[in-house]
Amino acid sequence: MQIALWQVLALSLYAFLAINDIIHMDLGLNRPLFAGFFAGLVMGDIGLGLAIGATLQLMVLGVATFGGSSMPDFMSAALIGTALSVIANEGMEFGIGLAVPVGMLLIQLDVFARFINTFIQHRADAYTEKCELKKIERIHLLGLFTWGLSRALPVAICLIFGNEITQTLTNIMPAWLMSGLKVAGGLLPAVGIAILLKYLPTKKYIPYMLFGFLLAAYLKIPMLGIAIAGVAFAILVFGRSGKQAAVVGSLANEGGMDEDE
Amino acid sequence: MKMSDKITSKDLRKVRYRWLLFGEASWNYEKMQGLGYCYSMIPVLKKLYTNKEDMKIALKTHNQFFNCHQEFTEIILGADIAMEEKNGIESMEAVSAVKTGLMGPLAGIGDTLFGVIANTIIFSIGSYMALQGNPLGIWINLIWAAFRIVLRGWFLKTGYREGTKIVTSMGATLNRITEAASVLGLTVVGALIPSVIRANIPLVFEAGEVTMELQSVIDQMMPALIPVLLVVLVYWLLGRKGMSSSKAILIVIAISLVLGGFGILG
Repeated sequence: MQIALWQVLALSLYAFLAINDIIHMDLGLNRPLFAGFFAGLVMGDIGLGLAIGATLQLMVLGVATFGGSSMPDFMSAALIGTALSVIANEGMEFGIGLAVPVGMLLIQLDVFARFINTFIQHRADAYTEKCELKKIERIHLLGLFTWGLSRALPVAICLIFGNEITQTLTNIMPAWLMSGLKVAGGLLPAVGIAILLKYLPTKKYIPYMLFGFLLAAYLKIPMLGIAIAGVAFAILVFGRSGKQAAVVGSLANEGGMDEDE
Repeated sequence: MKMSDKITSKDLRKVRYRWLLFGEASWNYEKMQGLGYCYSMIPVLKKLYTNKEDMKIALKTHNQFFNCHQEFTEIILGADIAMEEKNGIESMEAVSAVKTGLMGPLAGIGDTLFGVIANTIIFSIGSYMALQGNPLGIWINLIWAAFRIVLRGWFLKTGYREGTKIVTSMGATLNRITEAASVLGLTVVGALIPSVIRANIPLVFEAGEVTMELQSVIDQMMPALIPVLLVVLVYWLLGRKGMSSSKAILIVIAISLVLGGFGILG
């Protein structure tokens, strides 16, 4: 299949909006899950887009930007991976195999965008000296384009050359590589889960994790049912910590009174 | 002493929309959200400082290094507006102190609480449903996003009304919510391990009449044994020096290529 111009435009525009979404309202556009779904919708294979998006999403669960550090761009990667898999008429393993390295390369453009904005900051500093409010506002908003283009341009370029890229790849990719990538698609969610466990208080609350595992692996309870059990535990923990806080609070108060006397 | 009620709820709304829609447009390595904070405050500054000298001082104060959590910044904005409304240009030193003093702690609380909720609950359940071919899960986030937008309005108003003391009174409750959310998160994550990691061993041993599928033997020992071992391995890897999430991803891909290439997994 050949990619149509409107598809290139739709996906590039999406990338432009998605990055500006996550740094502001965070409706979810910049998450690989949503990007995969959208690319699937545009390319006419929602199931494939969902599978690629969900795998990438699970892979980066817990990878978050703290204090402005850059992370691989798996939003753009989900768009590119899904679109090129559809063009190549290949399955999800092809998309994942493409998306992972693409996402990691695109981290450089995130760094680049944040760096370019430093020039905006310098201009704004100059306008501050002269109290030029309108110019400060305008130069600040220009940053929306730095962010947007840092995602839209690579997506557009990869899609415009999509036919050539996929043809070359399908010609040179050996069978063992494809079967290896298929396995990778199944195993990669483990990374996201492990990262999450790293930053959750896992050691303190490990019984709840074991219980979740038991419900899913042995009792085969669907995820929403397990989430209900999780909410029940959460309410109990919240109530118990409230009682502890009250006890500590009253002890502290008594101590305070002693000192007053 | 409150000079007058110069700031209307319309002004507060203007600040809120600026921060919500465009606050981080010019995020940069030098002052991070500094210019964005200044940009968001401009509607209020215009109301308060008619004198050009005062305006210059105010702009310079706000166009300084600032970096905090998106939603929780609204509390700082609110408290800041109240201080400036009350004491005008005299308040600038105190405003700077409040901004720099609160941005760190609030960023910590916000990143932890919202990160836990978004990743362990919303996107893990959404992805799980998507892997089953169900696109409904991706919309859960919209409910969460709508909630956060309402919360921002409340943060700004409460910060404006009650000043910085809201942070101390809220701190303990937020910690309790984070703990509770972590428990929900861990329950879901425990369930994710056998549900979303796929590792199947296609090897079959034949001994005369008897065939033995290795996978079913392993399943009898413990379901999802390989996914569990894999998570333990990556968890251990992440604790090692110099390990990043990107490196962990590449290592898992390398393992997959070897095991998949030789047909041990498939």
